[in-house]
Amino acid sequence: MRHPVLKYVRVRDYLRSLVTHELAVGDAIPSERLLCERFGVSRMTVRQAVDALVVDGLLEREQGRGTFVAPTKLDLEVRLSSFGEEMRRRGMEPSSKVLATEEVTASPDIADALELLPGERVFYLYRVRYADGEPMAIEQTWVPSRLAPSFFAAGAPDSVYGELRSRGLEPDWGEDTVAATEVDPEDAGLLGLRPGRAVLRLTRRTFAGEIACAYSRSSYRADRYMLWVPLRAPKRTLIPRAAPDGNGQPAGAEPRNGQAGDGQAGDVAQTEAGSPATRVLP
Amino acid sequence: MKSQAANILAALGGVANIIDIEPCTTRLRSEVHDPALVNVPALRAAGAHGVMIAGRIVQVVMGPSVDTLATDLEELM
Repeated sequence: MRHPVLKYVRVRDYLRSLVTHELAVGDAIPSERLLCERFGVSRMTVRQAVDALVVDGLLEREQGRGTFVAPTKLDLEVRLSSFGEEMRRRGMEPSSKVLATEEVTASPDIADALELLPGERVFYLYRVRYADGEPMAIEQTWVPSRLAPSFFAAGAPDSVYGELRSRGLEPDWGEDTVAATEVDPEDAGLLGLRPGRAVLRLTRRTFAGEIACAYSRSSYRADRYMLWVPLRAPKRTLIPRAAPDGNGQPAGAEPRNGQAGDGQAGDVAQTEAGSPATRVLP
Repeated sequence: MKSQAANILAALGGVANIIDIEPCTTRLRSEVHDPALVNVPALRAAGAHGVMIAGRIVQVVMGPSVDTLATDLEELM
């Protein structure tokens, strides 16, 4: 343990375990002096360890008061349910601040995602989503006008999926992409985040059978959310029975489980690919 | 629908162009010998909701019907 990097890792991992298993949200962590004594390290090493956990979102520093256990992150499961449904499932009360409800001409990227022709109209809903009064996410949603005439007739719907269901469109599958980025200045204000903090950007295409019925772009606070992805081994790969290069394959495409990772390097951002993360029908 | 599987194979450049097809939850991910032989409009016409091509990897967004489609594809390959 003479190596400084290892010392720092030891303190960090000790604190991580303390935070996740012994302390409660809002508890103070042991003082720097205590940690220095316990691990026989310098204050700088202790600060480095604490900094790492602050960056990870496990700890929060409060000016002049000390360092405390941060609120736990909500696990954001990639599945086809709405923000409201997810929050209620956790016993939290969802609410929204509606920033815009408009009917507009779909821009090319929105038209593409919703399989619309150029020039088709869409309903656009722009909301800040809250859980128990705290801003959690910003969500932009587009719904084809053709599928849901007078979508905003009764004002902004509480639930887009609920509104689609009431029109006979049952969202039953979709695809999410998730990327981590810095929050942009406008969103930072809406989410109560300092500029430069991280957000998880989700884009989602929602389908009802073969019909693309909604497209959304959301930014979730990375300090309150982590992504939870269920995994399963990939399904059997199909290969032609007689490969054209002459390497004849036996009839009835062989399982090639060991090679299921082939070709995945180029698309690490595809949560869906190779995993059932976005499986929406059990 | 067997014809859908046949149309997809044809749009991927035929069985001879296919190295393998991995059925994912909502996509078919295929590695092909020659991506130039892949016909994107034909894939869309066969019911694809999106096609992503990166090098020799072609991803075809089909939805949960991938399951049954994979069975049909296997028979035709």
